[in-house]
Amino acid sequence: MHVPKIGITALVPPEIIFACAGSPFDVNNVIPASRKYPKNKLCAWTAIWKDMLVQKEIKIDSLIVVAGGDCHNALVDGQKVAMSGIPAHFFFYPFDGYADYLGTQLARLTDFLGGVKFPEKFKEIKKIKKLGRMIDLKRSLGEISAGEAFSILISFSDLSGDLEVFQKNIDNIKESDIEINKRVALIGVPPIYHDFHETAQSLGLNIVFDELPYEFIRHEGNNIKELARDYSNYTFARPLDFRIGFLRKELEKRDVDGVIHYTQFACHHMLEDEILRDELDCPVLTIQGDLPGNTPQQIKLRLEAFREMLERL
Amino acid sequence: MIGLDVGSTTAKVVSIENGEIKYDITGTHDWKNLLNGIEGEDIISTGYFRNSVPHRASVTEITAAIYGVRHFFPDADVIVDIGGQDTKVIDVRKNNFVINDKCSAGTGAFLEFVANYFKIELKDLGMLHLKAKRIPDSNNTCGVFAISEMISQLVAGYSKEEVIAGMHKAFARRISFMVPEGETIVLIGGAAKNEGLVSALTDVLNKKIKIPGEPQIINALGALKYYS
Repeated sequence: MHVPKIGITALVPPEIIFACAGSPFDVNNVIPASRKYPKNKLCAWTAIWKDMLVQKEIKIDSLIVVAGGDCHNALVDGQKVAMSGIPAHFFFYPFDGYADYLGTQLARLTDFLGGVKFPEKFKEIKKIKKLGRMIDLKRSLGEISAGEAFSILISFSDLSGDLEVFQKNIDNIKESDIEINKRVALIGVPPIYHDFHETAQSLGLNIVFDELPYEFIRHEGNNIKELARDYSNYTFARPLDFRIGFLRKELEKRDVDGVIHYTQFACHHMLEDEILRDELDCPVLTIQGDLPGNTPQQIKLRLEAFREMLERL
Repeated sequence: MIGLDVGSTTAKVVSIENGEIKYDITGTHDWKNLLNGIEGEDIISTGYFRNSVPHRASVTEITAAIYGVRHFFPDADVIVDIGGQDTKVIDVRKNNFVINDKCSAGTGAFLEFVANYFKIELKDLGMLHLKAKRIPDSNNTCGVFAISEMISQLVAGYSKEEVIAGMHKAFARRISFMVPEGETIVLIGGAAKNEGLVSALTDVLNKKIKIPGEPQIINALGALKYYS
């Protein structure tokens, strides 16, 4: 039986896609290692997946574009993909957290995907997400490296498109005994550099919190109504004061020494930087990336200087 | 023990002998000439090439700048370090820094563009600026396109000196976006020797700017003081 491969451009409840007999595929996850340099771009993330989809370098059956409440560039690049002939559905999170609105969005998404066929997937995924939160905890205790944890946590957006495969990936995680020097939270969109966590660790900064991947593991539900209630608190889609309140709690819980705010060139989230810097009660390093690849020297200099600064405090 | 700062365009060495600061400066690629037989065990390095030269310990330019500036100005609030390829602004009170290394406007490279266009020495820009009778406004913030703006200003009748002063003003405005509030602003790096740029920056920031006697050696000194 053909399992339709459903592209997603940002967080879309994977529970819905699996329950509708689809296999989610986060189009962002191939980008850091892609070495693609798109033409006519603003943000490289959206420009690269747009190019790869239009040129059929990524083959999918349909695309769900998160066009409201997260990435504004995706709204246009998603339409370009749709115009190339790939069926696309545009998904909108509520800015005000209104769960009924999200319930309507999820119902429309379910219709687009042909309706729920495997409702048991909701519970299966809920169990897997619990394991994700365990991985997150172990990472903050130094029992799993930041790089190892990030590579699996970021994959919770699509659960590798196959729950059995994903469960095996979780089972194969290497445990470590890491001495944590400086505890750092990474906020903002994920870095476009594939070796960022390892690089930070080699420079004495241990990432103990990844803001966006944490969103991938913390929302869950046994049915569409519960999913709507939970995902309506997706922080990236909500007003900044909501997100900042949430971040403050997480940073305190994890006892972080500092925050790295990763921003992506030409991404509207860059505009949030000055507010986040003012509102978070710890030292903040802002970095900006553009094209995929290794972490560049200029970023390494900033990371090293940030570690030195944290040591001086 | 010496502090060795091997940056993008120049290399600097500093030692402290009987309380007196001794230093030497050369081109980046001639950094070995500064060592005079000193081995890596006695070198604290900083700058772009800090990890490529022999060293006992290395420190980033940001930390080195703080330690170096403190030697002369313990009350420094903000440090502006204009390097060949980037500009770093350090908020000493808040332990914060920003680096501009994506755009040549606001770095030493921009001043090199200007000097190269007029076929003059980089060090002569400041002296020429001071002869300007009026200063044209520049709209372009891009270092490369600034050349076409300079040509337009020359066509419009501005003198070479006035065009240079206009470029310094544009440069200062660009840097001012990075500078936080502070009472004591210290300017370091080779560009601090350009009195035209210092004048423009003083006007744009509306602050008195302090400059150490030899602003180019501050990071080498800071590396040494960091380890001492």
